[in-house]
Order: sequence, then C-alpha cells, then structure tokens
Amino acid sequence: MKDRVSRRRFLKGTGGAICTIGSFLPAYSGAQAASLQFAPMDSGENLYEAKFYDKLENLRIRCQLCPRKCEVADQERGYCGVRENQKGVYYTLVHSRPCAVHVDPIEKKPLFHFHPGTRAFSMATAGCNVECKFCQNWDISQFRPEDLKNLNLSPEEAVRQSKKQGCLSMAYTYSEPVVFYEYMFDCAVAGNKEGLHSVMISNGYIQEKPLLALLPHLSAVKIDLKAFTEKFYKETCFGELKSVLETLTRLKKSGIWFEIVVLVIPTLNDSEKEITAMCRWIKADLGGDVPIHFSRFHPTYKLKNLPITPVPTLEMARRVALQSGLPFAYIGNVPGHPGNNTYCPGCGEIIIRRFGHRIIKMSIHDGRCAACSREIPGIWG
Amino acid sequence: MNRNNKSRREFIRDLSYLTAGTVLGSALSGERTLSAASVSASTSSSTVVLTRDPSVRGSNGELRSEIVSHLIHEVVKEVTGVGSAKDAWSSLFSPEDVVGLKINCLAGRRLSTRPEVVDAVIKGLKMAGVPDEQIVVWDRTNKDLIKGGYSIHTRKSGIKCFGTDALSQGYEREPQVFGSVGSCFSRILTEYCTAMINLPILKDHDLAGVTLGMKNFYGVIHNPNKYHDHNCNPYVADLFSSPLIQGKLRLTLLDATTGVYEGGPSYKPQWAWHFNGILGARDTVALDRMGCRIIEEKRSFMGLPSLIEAKRDPVYIHTAAQLGLGQDDPGSIRLHKI
Repeated sequence: MKDRVSRRRFLKGTGGAICTIGSFLPAYSGAQAASLQFAPMDSGENLYEAKFYDKLENLRIRCQLCPRKCEVADQERGYCGVRENQKGVYYTLVHSRPCAVHVDPIEKKPLFHFHPGTRAFSMATAGCNVECKFCQNWDISQFRPEDLKNLNLSPEEAVRQSKKQGCLSMAYTYSEPVVFYEYMFDCAVAGNKEGLHSVMISNGYIQEKPLLALLPHLSAVKIDLKAFTEKFYKETCFGELKSVLETLTRLKKSGIWFEIVVLVIPTLNDSEKEITAMCRWIKADLGGDVPIHFSRFHPTYKLKNLPITPVPTLEMARRVALQSGLPFAYIGNVPGHPGNNTYCPGCGEIIIRRFGHRIIKMSIHDGRCAACSREIPGIWG
Repeated sequence: MNRNNKSRREFIRDLSYLTAGTVLGSALSGERTLSAASVSASTSSSTVVLTRDPSVRGSNGELRSEIVSHLIHEVVKEVTGVGSAKDAWSSLFSPEDVVGLKINCLAGRRLSTRPEVVDAVIKGLKMAGVPDEQIVVWDRTNKDLIKGGYSIHTRKSGIKCFGTDALSQGYEREPQVFGSVGSCFSRILTEYCTAMINLPILKDHDLAGVTLGMKNFYGVIHNPNKYHDHNCNPYVADLFSSPLIQGKLRLTLLDATTGVYEGGPSYKPQWAWHFNGILGARDTVALDRMGCRIIEEKRSFMGLPSLIEAKRDPVYIHTAAQLGLGQDDPGSIRLHKI
C-alpha cells in the first residue's frame, strides 16, 4: 500500500525542513465566484525526453515504459498524464518536479528488512499508470502536474537535501515512480555517487527493459501486489496482474532485495482461497525469504462503500502466509499488533519489535538472530 | 421563454426542415433539396443549425469578424426560434447569469476555438445584458489558452479568461462518479458559472474518432487521460451525462471555420481544411452526429477510410443517445442549413 501523504499532511510533516514548500499552502478558502483566488503564474514546465518510446508515423509515438504501451498522438498525453507527445517527441513533464517531499522512516515504505530504523528522503511527482479505486494518495497520483504545486528539485539538490536530513536512502514513493522513471533514474545515479541508497516503492507495472536498466542503481524495491486475480486488477485498478507477477519474477532473478505489500480490502481480495493461492505462488516462484505485508484498508477515493479491514481478516492472511512457508509475514496499518514484529523462524524469538513505524527493540547482529544465530534475510547494514 | 420546451413557432418551422440524412450531403455540396417524404414530425427530434459562408474569410484567409458575428447570431436565432438576435440571446441567458465559454485550445492557434467566434458570442451575451464581469472564457490550462491565442485575464473587472489551473484549488476536492467516469470537476464549472456555452472545434481524433461537442468536456475534469480506451466509449457519454454539465449547458456552437479530418486532435496542415461554417444546437449529441458526418464526408471525398474502417468509430455518440442525452439517429435530426 502506498503511504498516505496528502499535500496538507506533507506540509505539516516537513516542519520547515524544506522551507520553500511553505508557500504551497492553498490560498483558496471560499466557494463563491467572487472569492476565487488565483495561484501565482507557474511556467515551471520541465521538458525532458522520455527514455523508452517508439516513434510512429504522423508524429504519433508508442510508450514502452509500462505494459500499457500507450499510443499517443501529437499534443496528447499517455494514461499516466505526465508524459506528453510534442511533435513526435515524447517528454516527461515531471523530471525534477516533485509534488511531495518528505523524510520518512524506512519502515513507512514499508521496508522491514532493509536498514531498519533509518530515514528515507521520500519523493513523488504527479501521475500514475493505473487507477486504483482505493488509492490513498489519489490527490497526487491521479492529477496532472499542472494541477499540483511542484518543487524545482534537481537530482543533485535532492541528494544534497537527503544528506542534510541524515537519510540513508532516497525513496521514490507515494504516487507511482514508474511514471517519473527518468527523474528516479537520475536521482538514483546521483545518490549512488554520494553513498545514498535508492528504493523504489512501486506497483510493479513496468516493462522489462526499463526495469532491468534501473535495477543496478537501486538497493531495494517494494511492490504492491494488489490482488491475485486479473478480475480485481482489471475492475479495481485498471491494470493487469500478469505484468506485475512478471516484474516480481524479474526482481527475484536479479537478486535485488524486495518486499511485497498486499492491501487487504473486504469482499474484494480478502478470501482465504485467493490469499492462499497468492502465498503459494510467492513461495514457489519467489522463495520463502520474501517479506509480505498485509495492510489494512481504509475507505477512500472511489471506494468508500466498504468498511475498514477487520483485524481478524489480516490475521487470517498472515496465518495463511506463515503456513505457506513465508515466515516474514506482517500486519500493516495496525500499530501495536504483534504482527508488526519480526520473529526468528529458527527460535521464534522477536528479533525486531516495532510500534507503528518505530523500532522498539532490535536483536539482529551481523544479519543473524541474536538468540539462535539463524541468518535472517535482508540488508541490515 | 421556457428553455426546455420548443416554442410553437419553432415546432411548426421544424416540420418544414428536412431530416438530416437527406440534407447533409447536399448541405456539404452547397445544394439544398426539399423532400416531403423526408420530413419528420417526431416530437423527439432535434435541430442542428448549420451555416457556411466562404466570405467569412478575407483575401489573406483571415476570419472577418463581422461575418463571423453575423453567422453566430443567425445560428442562435435559428436554434432558439426567436426572430431577433437580442431576443434569441436573451431567451438563453439573463443578466444574472455568470456564463462560462468552454473553448478548446489543445491544438494551438491554428486549430483552437477562434477568438473571432468567442468575440461574437460575447457580443450576444452582452445583448442579453450579461455584464463583462460575469463572462469567463476558459479551458483546462492557462498554457493551452495562451497557445490558442488568448490572453489571461483574472482581474475582477472585465471579461475573464483563465484555465482551471490558474485557481489555487482548481478542481473539486472529491471525485464524482457518473457511470464509468469518476472525476473531480473544474470549479469554474461547478462553482463559478451558472451557465455554460460549449465552443468546440471540428476535429478528427486519433482515439475517439472525432472530438466535437461532448468530448470538449474532457477539459473540465482532472483526469481526462484515464478515459481514452475503447475509442473513449462510454466515457465521453458518461461524462456528458453528469448533472454538473447538463444543468448548466445552454448552447453548443461548433467552430467549424477550420477543421481537421485526419491526424487530429492536433493541427496537421495536410489534413486541415477551411469548412467556413458554424454549427449550433441545444442538443449536443445531435450536433456531434452531424459534425461526425461532415468529417466522414470529407474523409470519403479525400479517399480516406471511414472512421469505422480506421477502427475508431465514435460509438460514444450512440451511447450518449442511449443514455437519453440527445438524438443521434440522423433520421430524427433536423439539419437546418442557413
């Protein structure tokens, strides 16, 4: 599940860490015509040619970044809303133009087996290549860049800010980093030069070529596996399960560290049968070391008619995962639940105790359980 | 005047009009043939008014404002069935209205709603007593408007011109769902204006087939890029079914002075032509059907495949009719050529 970070919350949360964002507070406060307030003129378009696309006849292009493969006519945009064909050249409009920047604990991504307790300089731009009816960041992911307030933040400046904030990594998150691929790529390259890790928090809806080009510059990936049926992906996300499973398989093959999040939504993807099938596939195709986080759904965006996920449903999902041979199964969005903790598969001891996004206790030494010395998969630093 | 019902005068005159299927071909070729057999007396029929005048262009191809203005007023008189321009505009708008002119500027100066057309509409609104301060010319973004040849005006006095993105909070905070479409609507539509005039262009569209009256409303939502699959069907129709649009739309005037019959929605000089016309209707579905036919006729004349053959049949027009939003059966549309 994507971290919830509305613009307003983002502004609160930054606490002045990035003072330039203070001017983003919405000026509008009324509903009548006479009270309409205008934003300052912003000519901050930042054209940057996209890396993956084919030129077609009559100034048309076909995007080759995500499996959607949008064919886009001159002056039009792809499904993501942040890539535009201008006279046969396809541009990203969001390079160096993040709409959300925040310093988060890495646990918020969530990445539980990647440098626990460290901070991630987290960035997002407008846009997404799917449209989940339950998107918790829809107010940025489903808008075009010109409809949001954006920073001018070059990769080099993002790296400088990250280091200034004491972050170990840069996270591309909140909306969908695949749609700001070029920016993510350049930030990752610039960050690596300065010893910063990069982590991609993604829906996994990306073609093979751009994924493989990016992976050498990333240190970890989190993938939202939104369900285990094509029906759900088609009807609720306007995406495709098959492509996401292919991405997961490619991640496994590449050797990069990755974790999976499943947002469990009452009646839509919460059947024991579906979760069992999903966990069996993960165990068989990805292995038992992959952490899987079952997160609690809260009604939002276009899915307000369903209740919050009952905790027993999340506990059922975790139990199914454990029984399927996935010992690193977690419960998310339920602070204080025992399912937030990491348990050693060898001795059963709690090796990382968490409350929300905070680390309370950590008993891992050199990547091994402090009690029984069993190796614990992950990147522990 | 009751804006939702035909006047007796309009109804009687309608009976004398040819059905569109018979008339359109001759209208395009400059001929007009009356046939009693093609007269329909269906009370559910719709009227689309078409006017063409080559003299609308000067010797250098520029639009002549006075002719454009004349054509617009004539169309509005016919659409409303009212004999004078002032009364016609007054039958649609009152001095209390805040009127939004939704233009289309995606394709730049050569294929946007022409300022001469907008100026003529503004003259009409002034005839109806609408003050300058209550007129706003708008589209999605300031950038598009500037590309289309417009200047941004956001001051309190005078006619305004700005994009939704000019506002600090341009779109409603929550999406509203209408069928397959779930979108946040521009606050220019939902909060600022009490009435809308739709001013689209005559354009082919690479995905939708055509982009005319209904599809122009893709410019009032925050996420139009999500609704281009399946030739934009049923998205265009579902969006157009929104009460937010239906409740405020009073008139659609299609700027057909210049059109593109292939390669749209951007301007492609090799497929652009001076149609030198204006289409007007209260029924936007009917207007779209007629506009589509004009493009199909031109494609055929130029030896291009039909939109069906090109796999981009604008089925959304029929979907809109099925939703009860207007008439798409050419046999039930009266195309009135003036």
